[in-house]
Amino acid sequence: MKSYRVITFLKNLSMYLILTFFALVMLFPFIYMLTTSLKLPADTFRYPPRLLPREPAFTELPGYPDKLPLYYVEKDGQRREFALVRSNIRIGTFAPPENPSAVVERFLSEVTPTGQSVTVNGQERELFQVLVDGQSVPMIQLSQTTVGEFVDPENPEIKAYQNVRLSQPVEKITWHFENYQKVIELQGLDRALTNTALVTILVVIGQLATSVLGGYAFARLKFPGRDTLFVFYLGTIMIPFVMLIVPLYQLMVLIGWTDRLAALIVPWIFTAYGTFLMRQHFITFPKEIEEAALLDGASRLQILKDIILPASVPALATQATFTFLYAWNSFLWPLVVINVGNEKNHVLTLALNVLRGRASDTPNLILAGAAIAILPPLIVFILGQRFFVESVASSGVKG
Amino acid sequence: MTHASHPAGELLTPHTLLVLRLLAAWRALFSLLALLGALAPWTGLLPGLPVWQGLLISVALGLAAVFSLLASRDILLRRHRGRMLSLVLDYLSLVACFIAVLQIGGVFLGIDALGEVFGRSIWFLFVVLAGYLLGAAGDYFLHDPRTEALLRQIGKWVMLFGALAFLVVANLPQGLLALARNLANPAGLGAVAGMVVFGLALWAMWRSPTALALNARTGHEQMLSGWLFLSPNLLGFLIFFAGPLLLSFYFSFTDSDAFNPPNWVGLANYARILNVTIKPLASPDQLAREVLDISVYDEVGRLKIGNGGLLFGAEDRFFWLALRNTLMYALAVVPLSVIPALVLANILNSKLPGMKFFRAVYFIPSIAAIVGIALVWQWLYNATVGYINYFITLAVEFLNNTFQAGLTDPKIRWVSDERTALLSIIIIAAWQTMGFNTVLFLAGLQNIPGELYEAATVDGAGAWDKFWRITLPLLAPSTFYVVSTTTIQAMQVFEQVFILMNPPEGPNNSTITLVLYLYRSGFQNFKQGYASALAWVLFIVIFGLTLIQFRQQRRSSIYEN
Repeated sequence: MKSYRVITFLKNLSMYLILTFFALVMLFPFIYMLTTSLKLPADTFRYPPRLLPREPAFTELPGYPDKLPLYYVEKDGQRREFALVRSNIRIGTFAPPENPSAVVERFLSEVTPTGQSVTVNGQERELFQVLVDGQSVPMIQLSQTTVGEFVDPENPEIKAYQNVRLSQPVEKITWHFENYQKVIELQGLDRALTNTALVTILVVIGQLATSVLGGYAFARLKFPGRDTLFVFYLGTIMIPFVMLIVPLYQLMVLIGWTDRLAALIVPWIFTAYGTFLMRQHFITFPKEIEEAALLDGASRLQILKDIILPASVPALATQATFTFLYAWNSFLWPLVVINVGNEKNHVLTLALNVLRGRASDTPNLILAGAAIAILPPLIVFILGQRFFVESVASSGVKG
Repeated sequence: MTHASHPAGELLTPHTLLVLRLLAAWRALFSLLALLGALAPWTGLLPGLPVWQGLLISVALGLAAVFSLLASRDILLRRHRGRMLSLVLDYLSLVACFIAVLQIGGVFLGIDALGEVFGRSIWFLFVVLAGYLLGAAGDYFLHDPRTEALLRQIGKWVMLFGALAFLVVANLPQGLLALARNLANPAGLGAVAGMVVFGLALWAMWRSPTALALNARTGHEQMLSGWLFLSPNLLGFLIFFAGPLLLSFYFSFTDSDAFNPPNWVGLANYARILNVTIKPLASPDQLAREVLDISVYDEVGRLKIGNGGLLFGAEDRFFWLALRNTLMYALAVVPLSVIPALVLANILNSKLPGMKFFRAVYFIPSIAAIVGIALVWQWLYNATVGYINYFITLAVEFLNNTFQAGLTDPKIRWVSDERTALLSIIIIAAWQTMGFNTVLFLAGLQNIPGELYEAATVDGAGAWDKFWRITLPLLAPSTFYVVSTTTIQAMQVFEQVFILMNPPEGPNNSTITLVLYLYRSGFQNFKQGYASALAWVLFIVIFGLTLIQFRQQRRSSIYEN
């Protein structure tokens, strides 16, 4: 019995491991998008890549007008955070011409040229006066580097010198939320955002209205030609949208809707698909309630409004979510019908397409734009997922 | 309906009789006007009208004229058919006038102006929402009628205020003024007058004395409401879906370019798409121009066999490259997104806690905008600082350090390498559709009765047997649905390619897809007739693939039974 429990435990553990792995795979691009959108541009081009946004840390010291960058410095065998107060200090290594291995390091400012020179290994070398243990010794310069002067922020008397480029800067995690504001203002995403919201809201409302009416007619009202028409509607569901872009575009040219938001709204209000979904839902509604209401003198519209719709909130929410996602995310049709130059009628997907080319050196801004396009549907999904996923699970529909 | 011709005649009031006569006269007049309208396109009064539009107008108005005349006679004979026809004709005319008012009045185009102020006014919509929630909060105070009533009242006022403020901030007053200004011309006034006239005619025909006089029965009412309820949807569907579909078929036989009147070219578009040739090669690297008539054909690809080979040439090489890429893409995406989904669904079906959470997480990629997703992946794929290459580097280092595998880091240039460009699109698509397919499979799994598994357990079947002999066969309908919808979607791949690739065709045309080529032909080169033909070929390919899958599924389910 115990071994059975162990096996079950291992089985469940491996299941959770697989599920978690896939969950990470599914979520990683989104996490990457969010964290990168809060980075500084330089941080996005760093290798190896780091998930969290970081930037160099600075400190202020009395006597220095500017903010001083912090670096890790080895001091007395300890790794400490020091402030860089001066860079480009030149240091030379010096040695007496007769003994090149007795090397000393001195700041170039501390040595003075003697004006004399000496020949070492057939080369003429300049001689410098270098102080060693209080005595001035003539030496030749072997090499030269530049270092920075670092001081302890708590005690500016403690100094250290090391190469700045090879030192590791102290970084702190900072979230640059202003990236969002920047991308919205610089790239005109605010207009695209409100346009998208407007288009989406109108499409959702319009589509719900026509599908509810049509679905009710198909489900509940008997009229000649209904079933033929319904089969016809069903048949068109599998026709891909790309079949329509050319003629629909010409229709828009004909009625002067190219470059207009109306072209993004009106054609999408009437869908066979939504009507079909609504009909499938209404047909499950008990007929008896409706017949009783009819006997009481209610009109069809009243029955629909007061009895059927209040009982259909989950179905309506599902369809609204579907339509929302479809309208919010659509790209090909806006690309076709809205001119690239007409930025005041751009929707988010179009604005992102422009942003992609315009801000290719600032991935943080591009990904902030992508987040602006992705987050609202995500929020709608989280709010509506109870209805939405259940309904996909029960009716098996594809958005 | 003939048996119900004259039963209630003596009950008619003179008033109703007059109305009937007027309606009959109206129908005759309508018929005459429609006839004149039907002839108008052929008189030269409307220059520049394309032939198909002229035909459309003539057919529609001609039919209206005939039916109106018929209705006129029916009304006089007191047949209900006359009422039906009248209602339909007047309703359609009313809708036409209404749309004309909206169009001439600039309401549709005014949406752009709304877009300008929507950013400011949208906040008041939230006020409306808050008011609604406030009113709905009254439900929590059912025990306290006064508080409930108060909340509802406040909610109502807040909603009203929000709505009014929204309309004012959204420039409704100016909008209405603009509407009136736009309508103050002959066409606008005509449309408004038409609305009034048709509205009156509808009302006169709809009211119950007329209905009784024309022997209406409840069946008729249901039929009329049926058509009425369906009409917004049906009309829109005809105008924006069925009509354009037919038009697309027509365009595919023309050289339409969207701006000039199209010329009929017969099957030339299709002939160009499908014109291919296969030639043997003397050596695997023989130049294409030595074997092909290069004034017509371009090389699409070659098959190297030993010392020779076959050269595949086509008049439109881009179509065939696109077809090849799209099929390869679909062929890879379907298994990559379906098989893991099947595994995940089986795990999720195991009633352990937390499964709903995982289900929701897997769903997330499929709801995000593909354009946004593609931008994210573009940076993940970055050859120097992207995470994907970084992970590969880490994996290579790990393998080398632990197993002395001696691997070299491939440093893949994902989107700019001809060999991996299509693969990078495939990975995104698999990632994005996997979760959706998981949920679909899960639904199928939950429909399989648990007793079957219990019976199998009693018979001593192992988990593996159960999966192969119960789960998979009973899941066949879901599998068919998942595979066919994934295929249909995969065949239409466009957005990922368009965003991720620069240029969209990818390096050496390695990611040109059918829809991308259609877009390029129709909207960059404006060969819209040709693009329509491409659309129909794409449709036939998709339809064929679905049909094959359908037959496969039917065969396998027959076998199972």
